Amino acid sequence: MNAPVLQACAVHKHYRLGKREIPVLRGIDLSVAAGETVALLGASGAGKSTLLHVLGLLDPPSSGEVRYDGRRVDALPIGERALLRHRHVGFVFQFYHLIPELTALQNVLLARMMDCSLFAYWRRRREVRAAATAMLEQVGLGERLHHRPAELSGGERQRVAIARALLADPKVVLADEPTGNLDSTTADGVVDLMFTIQRQRGLAFLLVTHDEELAARCHRIVRMKDGQVVSG
Amino acid sequence: MIAAAAPFLARRYLLTRRINLLGVLGVMFAVWAIVLVDSVFTGFVSQIRADVRSGAVDLLVTDLPADTSYERLRPALVDDAVVATAPRLRHHGLIKPVNVRRGGERPVASAEVDFDHTLNGFALLLGIDPATEEAVSGLRHWLARGPEELETRHAGTFWRSPVLDEPDAERRAQLLMPDADEWRARRRSGLPADHDRDQHRSQWPGVLFGWQRIRRLGWFAEAEPFDVTCASFPGGDAPAAVHTHSLRSAFAGTFATGHRAFDESTVLLPIETLRTLLGNDAADPASIDLVTDVAVRLRAGLGTGAIADAKERLRRAVQQTLPAGSGPCLVLDWEEQNRTFLSAVAHEQGMMQFVLFVVMLVAAFVIYATLHMMVVQKVKDIGILASLGASPRSIGAVFLLGGFAVGLAGTGLGVIAGVVSARYLNTANDWLYANFGVELFPRIMFDLRAVPCDLQPSWVATVAIGALLLALLVAYVPSRKAARLNPVTALAHE
Repeated sequence: MNAPVLQACAVHKHYRLGKREIPVLRGIDLSVAAGETVALLGASGAGKSTLLHVLGLLDPPSSGEVRYDGRRVDALPIGERALLRHRHVGFVFQFYHLIPELTALQNVLLARMMDCSLFAYWRRRREVRAAATAMLEQVGLGERLHHRPAELSGGERQRVAIARALLADPKVVLADEPTGNLDSTTADGVVDLMFTIQRQRGLAFLLVTHDEELAARCHRIVRMKDGQVVSG
Repeated sequence: MIAAAAPFLARRYLLTRRINLLGVLGVMFAVWAIVLVDSVFTGFVSQIRADVRSGAVDLLVTDLPADTSYERLRPALVDDAVVATAPRLRHHGLIKPVNVRRGGERPVASAEVDFDHTLNGFALLLGIDPATEEAVSGLRHWLARGPEELETRHAGTFWRSPVLDEPDAERRAQLLMPDADEWRARRRSGLPADHDRDQHRSQWPGVLFGWQRIRRLGWFAEAEPFDVTCASFPGGDAPAAVHTHSLRSAFAGTFATGHRAFDESTVLLPIETLRTLLGNDAADPASIDLVTDVAVRLRAGLGTGAIADAKERLRRAVQQTLPAGSGPCLVLDWEEQNRTFLSAVAHEQGMMQFVLFVVMLVAAFVIYATLHMMVVQKVKDIGILASLGASPRSIGAVFLLGGFAVGLAGTGLGVIAGVVSARYLNTANDWLYANFGVELFPRIMFDLRAVPCDLQPSWVATVAIGALLLALLVAYVPSRKAARLNPVTALAHE
């Protein structure tokens, strides 16, 4: 078995609603190895998306630890966490979350503009642009580089989102219902693409889904209920 | 470090949202207005100060007791810093043209009620000794400038006063007009005159009017007769009664010091004439060289400290010559002589700057409002940026740079517009007046030949830096709000 690239150790997360504390995650232990695909299944409200946010360092755990490559990262300063998120993790969301003012190419390029200054980016802009173009070509959007999200179909938008998630060469992709907003034909195409790229690059995938078929294509299925891992 | 994404996104957001033009236009208008209006005001104030300065003497010894004799004061006025002194006598009086309608009635019908009674015969009479006055003030320059001012505003030429060029010192002291001029004036007015013009000798002491007064009263020919009347209370134990004295005089020239109030209100006449009008006839052996003020010219090149020292020395020396129990006399420099007026002008400039600052605040508020709206509309984008690994600082920088860019564009355009409009203000004003009869800056209202415009580079730089700092300050608030947004909440935002 490969070394774990992503770990959750006894992660708890609760939100405060007035004087009440609402527990969302209750002692989650999870490990994803390099090159492994893991499906996270569970009913709505089980805490899947929250776990994804905690693992992606978008939301700190109330207690417990998040580890990247065995190193604890949840307690790092906010700037370092942002940088690690950029280098270690790629996000794919159900609603694509593309920036409407930018073209497909610019949306993807944005992923490489986070860890360098304007001058540093300017010096290697041609190289980055070529990489982004190649990435979009790989997801089948070589002809749609300069289209804005509003000019793209749902499947195309999700492909742009996948290209953006992968451009910074992350070790793990966290996908939150990536096909939840697509029709089945389009969804199949997107899923095929994701798994192809995952295999080519040896990425770890953690997919939140309700789709049992999609989950079945993963190496491992983790089921959650009421904020706890019940199997897997 | 600010990520490259921040300026990239700021630029995209600005270019795709036309509402940001409001902020640019707001800052541009505010900067333009501040640069232009303040340049005009600075020019105006500089002009006013220069004019006031040209109408004032270096120092004025004043607040002297009644019946002060100039001869008694003279020893006290000897000082290393003093170059020359001249006696002055001030009193209110009435001026009435002898053969032009009632006392000072305006020759031109006007629908406007004239509350400015100084133009209707009342005048501040300032008695001067022309010989010494020339040495302490710009009397000769004032007399040269008077006709020029009239000619600038009206077609035609106005005659130049010859009284200071009179070779006879006695006649010059009386500001007497040439004999032939007075002879002609007498004939025109039906007043007694020698049959033979060459036999006539001028007798009327000359009076000099400010160009403003002449403009209102009408243009007068050389030596036009005027009656000057003074009312005074006799001193001593005599019962309180008003004594009036009248004297015929000749219009001997028009002056312009540049100080509007002085030119409007003051009539210059020989000091001996005014002494006589006040019952202090030189022929009377008991008469004295009566003065109310002494004008002082200081050595050139004295610094502020040296002038202050000289003032204090003169004040002490003069005070010592005054009778025991006299009130304190004053020695005023040119600014102190016009303190109220200059303070009012400075106050007006301050108020104007405040109003313009408020305009700038409104422009800054527009930037704030548009950026705040942008943050609200871009909450989801903020979540996306966070998920891509943008630090809070970089997220805040997107909006801070946006505000700075709006401020920079507005400031740049405003500075260009301000400098260009200040540079071509008079050209534009003339063109508008010639083509449309519209004057943006009615010069006649301020008696100016051209709109004074003093564009100070330091002021332009101050305004530009201030506008940029203000833009940054107001942009900081929404950018901070953006930086502190919870990424998860932002991603869930609909």
